[in-house]
Amino acid sequence: MSHSILSALSEDLLVRVYGFLDPPCRKTWRLVSREFHRVDSLSRTSIRILRVEFLPALLFKHPNLSSLDLSVCPKLDDDVVLRIALDGAVSTSRLKSLNLSRATAVRARGLETLARLCRALERVDVSHCWAFGDREAAALSVAAGLRELKMDKCLSLSDVGLARIVVGCSKLNKISLKWCMEISDLGIDLLCKKCKDLKSLDVSYLKITNESVRSIALLPKLEVLEMVSCPLIDDAGLQYLENGSPSLKEIDVTRCDRVSSSSLISIVKGHPDLQHLKASHCISEISLSFLHNIKALKHLKTLWIDGARVSDSSLLTLSASCRALTELGVSRCVGVTDIGMMGLARNCSNLKALNLACCGFVTDAAISAVAQSCLNLESLQLESCHLITEKGLQSLGCYSKRLQELDLTDCDGVNDRGLEYISKCSNLLRLKLGLCANISDKGIFHIGSKCSKLLELDLYRCAGFGDDGLAAISRGCKSLNRLILSYWGELTDTGAEKIRQLEQLTHLELRGIKNITGTGLAAIARGCKKLAYLDLKQCENIDDSGFWALAYFSRNLRQINLCNCSVSDTALCMLMSNLSRVQDVDLVHLNRVTVEGFEFALRACCNRLKKLKLLAPLRFLLSSELLEVLHARGCRIRWD
Amino acid sequence: METGEDDLCQNNWGSASILDYEMAMEDEEEGEPNLHVFKASSSGKDNNNNNNGGQASVQGVKAQAWDPRTMLCNLSFMEQKIHELQGLVHLILGRNGQLQDEQQQLITADLTSIIIQLISTAGSLLPSVNMLSTTAPGSALFPFPREANNLASQTLNNGGASQELEDDAEEGENLPPGSYEIKQLEKEEILAPHTNFCTICGKGFKRDANLRMHMRGHGDQYKTPAALAKPPTKETLPGSDAPMLIKRYSCPFPGCKRNKDHKRFQPLKTILCVKNHYKRTHCDKSFTCSRCHTKKFSVIADLKTHEKHCGQNKWLCSCGTTFSRKDKLFGHIALFQGHTPAIPLEDTKPSAAASSQRGSSGCGNSNNNAAMVSFSLGSAANANQETSQPCVMDGKTSFEESFSPLSFDICNFGGFPRSIFDDSFQMLISSACGCSPINGGVGSVSDTSL
Repeated sequence: MSHSILSALSEDLLVRVYGFLDPPCRKTWRLVSREFHRVDSLSRTSIRILRVEFLPALLFKHPNLSSLDLSVCPKLDDDVVLRIALDGAVSTSRLKSLNLSRATAVRARGLETLARLCRALERVDVSHCWAFGDREAAALSVAAGLRELKMDKCLSLSDVGLARIVVGCSKLNKISLKWCMEISDLGIDLLCKKCKDLKSLDVSYLKITNESVRSIALLPKLEVLEMVSCPLIDDAGLQYLENGSPSLKEIDVTRCDRVSSSSLISIVKGHPDLQHLKASHCISEISLSFLHNIKALKHLKTLWIDGARVSDSSLLTLSASCRALTELGVSRCVGVTDIGMMGLARNCSNLKALNLACCGFVTDAAISAVAQSCLNLESLQLESCHLITEKGLQSLGCYSKRLQELDLTDCDGVNDRGLEYISKCSNLLRLKLGLCANISDKGIFHIGSKCSKLLELDLYRCAGFGDDGLAAISRGCKSLNRLILSYWGELTDTGAEKIRQLEQLTHLELRGIKNITGTGLAAIARGCKKLAYLDLKQCENIDDSGFWALAYFSRNLRQINLCNCSVSDTALCMLMSNLSRVQDVDLVHLNRVTVEGFEFALRACCNRLKKLKLLAPLRFLLSSELLEVLHARGCRIRWD
Repeated sequence: METGEDDLCQNNWGSASILDYEMAMEDEEEGEPNLHVFKASSSGKDNNNNNNGGQASVQGVKAQAWDPRTMLCNLSFMEQKIHELQGLVHLILGRNGQLQDEQQQLITADLTSIIIQLISTAGSLLPSVNMLSTTAPGSALFPFPREANNLASQTLNNGGASQELEDDAEEGENLPPGSYEIKQLEKEEILAPHTNFCTICGKGFKRDANLRMHMRGHGDQYKTPAALAKPPTKETLPGSDAPMLIKRYSCPFPGCKRNKDHKRFQPLKTILCVKNHYKRTHCDKSFTCSRCHTKKFSVIADLKTHEKHCGQNKWLCSCGTTFSRKDKLFGHIALFQGHTPAIPLEDTKPSAAASSQRGSSGCGNSNNNAAMVSFSLGSAANANQETSQPCVMDGKTSFEESFSPLSFDICNFGGFPRSIFDDSFQMLISSACGCSPINGGVGSVSDTSL
């Protein structure tokens, strides 16, 4: 019967139906029939490749791809790219977006080939390719149509490379140069002179001076300017922005030590349409004149003033004028009390995100007020607010039905009753309960039974509960993908059996859990097939059987921490050779592994490692050839 | 003494001998090849001496409206003094070598006093020179055992210095047309390597002094003091009272801004200027830098200057221009559309070599792993086949080369062949977990396309 219905649908109808499906459903869709599979292949526009072996076949199968993500494909290198270029069957001409983050083994030759191959390329991400420099930048500049470029942490990139990109890709309207420490004023100046269409610029952590700000101010279309922690920029530099960059909408000067409120006032004066002002940890006090000018910003949506001295009255004036505020960061602000917060809650009912971390004087009254008036609240950070008790959490549970993220790390007042109230926030996606000492199995049981959408749960150093609580979590929160259980003494192999049921788990931290053995790890490895991050530091009682199971089942493991584990030579070799996606490994203090064992294991995985932590003496014991190969493949070794 | 005589006898200020200029110029070029040309005129004592009085007067006229009577009075006084001086010098010349000490002292004393008077009068013609000309006599008052020759040149030198200062001040070239005389040399004359030729053997020299030295070899008649003395040219002959004019030069190239027919003509100051200008602007650049092999010059001195700094210009533009400073390069790039900084070549070769080497070694290894993952229990035969046919295109696994130096190393390292090593692991896994590795492989395939 179903067969007849399906055959009645024409292909374009199938394509339309397919368009309404979300990614997990699409995965099922293509298993239905050959026809469905074909529709999937033709309609698919974005893909994330996990293993480079399948790249050519997948590119061939999906000719209409516009977005290709190779950031978790550790074996990708120049030769693979060249092979694809030579393979005429692969069509890449429609590709617009390319993610090469952490693809350190691809160098200038491969990049240039890719840039030539993908003629329609508009977005490229090469962030965290630490070895990238001017040569790679020159290769990228071949893609003349580039509009967005992310080059965070390309440590060798200098002004010369930036100039190549700037001249080659003059249509750029978004560029991120975070942590490109070699970039200086000259490069920024040239960027601002040549790329007049620039709308978003990130120069965070650069050692640029006021001269750069002077150049940036000349950009006519700039909307977003991020300059987090630029230690050489001061008020005189920011003054240039008062009359420059007329369409500025967002500015981030977080942790710019030499910036004071006077220059922020001048920016605010010049841009009455500013929407996002992020000035955490750079102004010490909210002065009256600053408040007076902020009041003029009718469209202000985001305000971060973390770390400043904020009085209740100033918070009241602020909230009375900026009623459109949706995001407020006042963490570590001295002087924030209930009166101010209640005034804020009354005025800014559109608030979606509120950061109150380390505001020690905030009590339940403030939280209740916020919960009652700000019904759209989605994110609430209450780290180290010690005065908050179950009462505050009760009103959160009653009113904040849209709450998605709640951080209660280090809140002593959180107890089982409080968790019961929180569990009523059924849309909760992320919950952090680290260092909460007063919770037990009972509280966790409530969370597990009601918060079925939970994606992330942080139970760092929570001492009070045992395997039963975990059982509730594993029964209720089936979509959990991030679980932190570090230093939780009570976890045993029985608990590990429960974790096994969380099939969506990708990130698991089991640091310092002494009671778990090889049996427990084997259970986790068998169950959590999607595991990509695993922290087993100081899990001393896991024996080789656990690691063997890991080597066999956890084929998607990308990052693993094995410090202080009692792994043997053979188990380590097995792990390293079998985990074909592993790219970040910590191998410090492995007492049972010999130098030969290390050499063996690293040789087995040297073509895909990106980051490696080893004990310093091994630098002289490992063969120089191995180290050379690791380096040439773009692997960064941290000698401990 | 002869130079002094020549210059002081010269009354026809209009044109000085080219040879004198040539000499001054050559001095300069050999000493400091790349200094600006106007220095040449400072060391060219002869000319400056010539110009000293004349130019001062000209500038005096130009600078300020003086009482013409005082002026005339002063000038005629100077003329008189110059004649006295000429007489004295002739006296010395006539009795060359036979002069007694006493007489010589007398004559030098006279000479000194006349020159001092001359200079102070000349200085009074021009207010701006006043300072210098009043100090000049002071420096001229040397104790007597000094030779008159030295003394004269010293004094005149000072005069020259003051004149040069004036020159620099008016470097904006607002000399009114007509206030100077324009000379134009022909192309051949400018480019000629030698200007003095031996009439006997035909050898060429840059300076007439060298020619005179050379002539001594042709016979005793060239060894007399008269023959060795600088021959007086017709301009330097005494008696002619031509108006004193500054000399400026024109470039013979038509259309050049330095050509006298150009609308906004800017004259060249000395013959050295003419020579350098003509070579730089209108000649081929025939001297190539031996270090960079790109920069070319037409004046040797320029080449030498460049070679001193060549190699320090590490900032290179795609157009081939080099810069010693990064900001200059970036300014250049900002100015010209499409120009980009070039990335130095020397880095390319090692990195390319390294990448190819690493490529092959890394690939071999990844191939091994790929084989291990997707060909579950890859038989030894299979592995051998792969290594024997390096470029097998096999869809999944071997689109990388199989040959690898590192994999050989692994063989030696373990003491057994790599393929066996893989197989043993695979066997261990399958026996330990009791599952078929093929399933695992399939699982990974389906995960891939998430």
